[in-house]
Amino acid sequence: MTLTATSRVAGPGRRLWRTPEFTLGVIAAAGFVALAIATGGNLLSAGTLEAFFRFLAVPIVIGLSQMVVLAVGQMNLAVGALTGFCAMVAAWLMLEAGLPAPIAVLAALTLGLAVGVANGALVVLTRINGFIVTLATMTIIQGLRYGVNGPDTFQGYSEGLRAFGRASILGLPAVFLVAIAVAILVALFFGRTVTGRQLLASGGSPFAARLSGISNDRSLIIAHGLSGLLAGVAAVITVSASGSVNATIGDDLLLPSFAAPIIGGVALAGGMVSVVGTLLAAFLVRLVDVMQAQFGINPRWVDLIIGAVVLGAVLLGTLRQRIRERST
Amino acid sequence: MLVAENLVKTFPGVRALDGATLTLRPGTVHALLGENGAGKSTLVKLITGVYRPDQGRITLDGTELHLGGPLDAQRAGIGVVHQERNLIPAFTVAENIVLHHLPGRAGWLDRARMRAEARRCLELLEVDLAPDTPVARLSVAQGQLVEIAKALSLDNKVLLLDEPTASLTGDEADRLFTVVRRLRDSGHAVVLVSHKLEEVFAVADTVTVLRDGRSVAEAAPLAGFTQGQIIDLMVGRAFASIELVERTVDAQAPPALHLNKVSTALGHREVSLWVRPGEILGLYGLVGAGRSELAKAVLGLERITAGTVEVHGSPARIRNVGEALRRYRIGYVTEDRKDEGLFMDQPVARNIAVTVWRRLARAGLIPDRRERALAETYVERLGIRISSPQQLVGQLSGGNQQKVSLAKWLAADCEILIVDEPTVGIDVRTKAAFHELIAGLAAQGLALLLISSDLPETVVLADRIAVMSDLRIVGELDNDHDYPRMSQRVIRLIHAETHVEGGVAAT
Repeated sequence: MTLTATSRVAGPGRRLWRTPEFTLGVIAAAGFVALAIATGGNLLSAGTLEAFFRFLAVPIVIGLSQMVVLAVGQMNLAVGALTGFCAMVAAWLMLEAGLPAPIAVLAALTLGLAVGVANGALVVLTRINGFIVTLATMTIIQGLRYGVNGPDTFQGYSEGLRAFGRASILGLPAVFLVAIAVAILVALFFGRTVTGRQLLASGGSPFAARLSGISNDRSLIIAHGLSGLLAGVAAVITVSASGSVNATIGDDLLLPSFAAPIIGGVALAGGMVSVVGTLLAAFLVRLVDVMQAQFGINPRWVDLIIGAVVLGAVLLGTLRQRIRERST
Repeated sequence: MLVAENLVKTFPGVRALDGATLTLRPGTVHALLGENGAGKSTLVKLITGVYRPDQGRITLDGTELHLGGPLDAQRAGIGVVHQERNLIPAFTVAENIVLHHLPGRAGWLDRARMRAEARRCLELLEVDLAPDTPVARLSVAQGQLVEIAKALSLDNKVLLLDEPTASLTGDEADRLFTVVRRLRDSGHAVVLVSHKLEEVFAVADTVTVLRDGRSVAEAAPLAGFTQGQIIDLMVGRAFASIELVERTVDAQAPPALHLNKVSTALGHREVSLWVRPGEILGLYGLVGAGRSELAKAVLGLERITAGTVEVHGSPARIRNVGEALRRYRIGYVTEDRKDEGLFMDQPVARNIAVTVWRRLARAGLIPDRRERALAETYVERLGIRISSPQQLVGQLSGGNQQKVSLAKWLAADCEILIVDEPTVGIDVRTKAAFHELIAGLAAQGLALLLISSDLPETVVLADRIAVMSDLRIVGELDNDHDYPRMSQRVIRLIHAETHVEGGVAAT
C-alpha cells in the first residue's frame, strides 16, 4: 500500500507523520505485528495470509463505494443490499439463464451503476435527502433479492470465475489486486480529473460550487452512480471469491462500508476524501475480524468493537476540526 | 433611563464604533439614524448583549450593566425586534409570545396561563389576534406585531425596533406607529432604527445620528431639524479622495452587458441598466434592495420573468453560472466569500483554477504543475500574500481571500465582472488597494458592475451610479466624484422613493 494521498492536500509544513493516514498506518502495522505474535506466527503462514487479503477485497471496495457518496455530503445505505443483489443477479444469469461469465460480470456492473444513477436521480429530482432515498431503495432491493431466488443458494456456476477468485499473483490474491487497482483509479479520479474535483467542490461547499459554474445535481448523480458501480465490483468479487451466493449476502456490509471511510478520516460533511485512509481502515477492521476468528470471540463483540471505533473516529474528527478552527 | 456612553467596538481590521453615545429616556420614541456602516447595528447589538463593548459603559437608571449575552439584556428589561423574523412558524401566536418563559406546572405546559399571558400582551397593543393561530398563517405585518408582543411579555422598559417597516405596507406601518406611540405614552423607551426619514419625522421625538462609529447628534429633539440637515449629518463633509488610474470610457462603445426592463420571479420590476467595456457601473442601494438577487438572476440562478439580457449586443439566455462563464464570459464575485465564493479547506491553487479545470486538463487529468503555475500568475498580478499555492484559503486574511475569490474569474478570462460588496469586512488599507485593483481592471477593458452599500466606495469607483430601492432602479446618476454632492443626490433618491411610496414594499 504505497499509494500517495492524492486527494488529501498536504499544506506547507504539514509533515507526513502528522497526517491521520500516517497514524492509521502505524496502528495497522502494530496491530498486524501484535496479531502475528499472538497467533504464534500462524497469521504469516501462506494460507492464512492469503485468506486475510482475499477477504479484504470486498471491505475495501465497499468502503470506497461509501466514500464516493460521502465526498458529496451524501450517504448510501443501499451499498450492502445492492452488492448482494448484483451478486444474485450475476449468479442467476450464469446458472438459470446459462450466460457466459463475462456477460454476467458486465451485467452485475451495469446493474450496480444503473441503481446508483437511479438513486442519484431520485435525490436530485425529489430533493429528498439521500439518506432517506437510499434507505428506501435498500428496502426495495432486499425485497427484489428474495424475489430472484427465495432463500436458496446459487452454487456451481462458472468454473473460470471461481478459479479467478482463488488465483494468486506473486502471493497476493487476484481479487485483492483488483480492489487495489480500483482504489488507485478512485484516488486518481478525485485527485486529478475534472469531474472528481467537481464532486469534491460540490461536497465541500455547494454554494461556492454552483457559483463557480459547477452543477451540483450532476455531481450528486455521478457520485451515486459511481457508488453503485463500485457496489457492482464488490458483487463480482463476492461471486468469484466465495463460490456460492444466497439472498443474505451483503446484509452485513453496511457498517463496514461506513467504518472504512470514517475511521480513515473522510469527512461526513463532504468535500474531502482519503483513499489511503479508507484502505488502512478496512485493513484494521479486517484485523479485528481475524482476531475474532483466531480467538473464538463472540461475533457480537466484533460489531461492538467496530461500532465503538467508528464513533471514536467521528469524535476525533470533530475534535480535530475544532482545534483547527481555533488555531486559524 | 438607559445610557450607553462612549462605546468602542473593534472587529478585526474595522473600528465599527468609535465612541458612540446613546441616551434613552422613558416615554420617548428615539430615532437612531446613520448611513450603512455607520455603526447602527453594532450599537444595537451592544445594547442587546449580542456583543460586548471594548470600551465605554452601559447604565440603566444609574447602575452599570454588564451584558454577557442576549439573556442578560432581556433580564435587564431591554427588548429588541430584529429586522429578520425570529418566530417559529409551526408554533401558535401564544407559544411564540411566551417562548422565553413558558409557564409550567410540575413540568407540564400550563396552556391556560400561556394563553392568558399572550392575550394580555396582545391587548396591550390593542391587536386582535387569536392566541391559537399558527404563526405560519399570519401576514408579515401580523408577525411583526407578534414579535413586539413577545418583546413586551418580558416586561421590557426599553424596546429596540430595527427597521420595523422594511416589509410593511404604508397602512400596516401606520398601525405599527400607533402601537409605538401607545408604548411611549405608557412609559416605554422605544428606539426606532430606520432609513426612512419620513416615518422617523412622523413618529420620533428625539434623534441620535451616527457617522463613522461616532454620534454626531446625541438625543437631540427632532423638531429642531429639517430632513436636509439630518442627511447632512449622516453624510458628513469630510472625505478623503484616493488617486486612481485615469480611465477613459468610449462612450460610443456598445454595452457589454445590457439589462432591458428585466423583471424577476423575486419581484424585480423592469430593471434597466447597462455597462460598457472599460466602465464601472455602481449599483448602490440599501441592504435588501435586491441587488445581489438581480446579479444572480443575470447568472441564471433566479428566474427572469420579463425583459431581456443582452451581452455585447446580442440577446443572451443564461441558464446557469457555467453558461454565463463559458459562453458569455460573465463572472460574479460574491459578497459571501466564505460560503459562496471559496472552498475554505482547499488550497489557493485549486480555488483559483476551479473555473478553468477543463482548460487545464490534459487527457482528462489536471496536472498539479499547470494548476500551480496558473495560480502563481494571479497571486503575483493581484499581490495575494500566501506562503505557497498549496496553502489553504481558510488560513488567509479577509483581504487575501477576497483577492483569491476575484482571481478565479480573471483566470477564466471574464469580460464582464459583477463585483458584489467587494470590500465588506476588509480593513481600510486593503480596501484602498482593492479599489485600485478594480479601477485597474476597468482600465484593461473589463466591464464592471459594482454592487455596493458603501457610498464612498461607489462614488470613488463608479462612472455612473444606478440606485436601487425595493427591487427597482429609482434613478441613475452620472458620477462627478464630488462626494458631498453625489452622496446627497443618491440619498435623496432613496428617501424620496420611500417618501412617495409611503413604505410600500414589494412582496
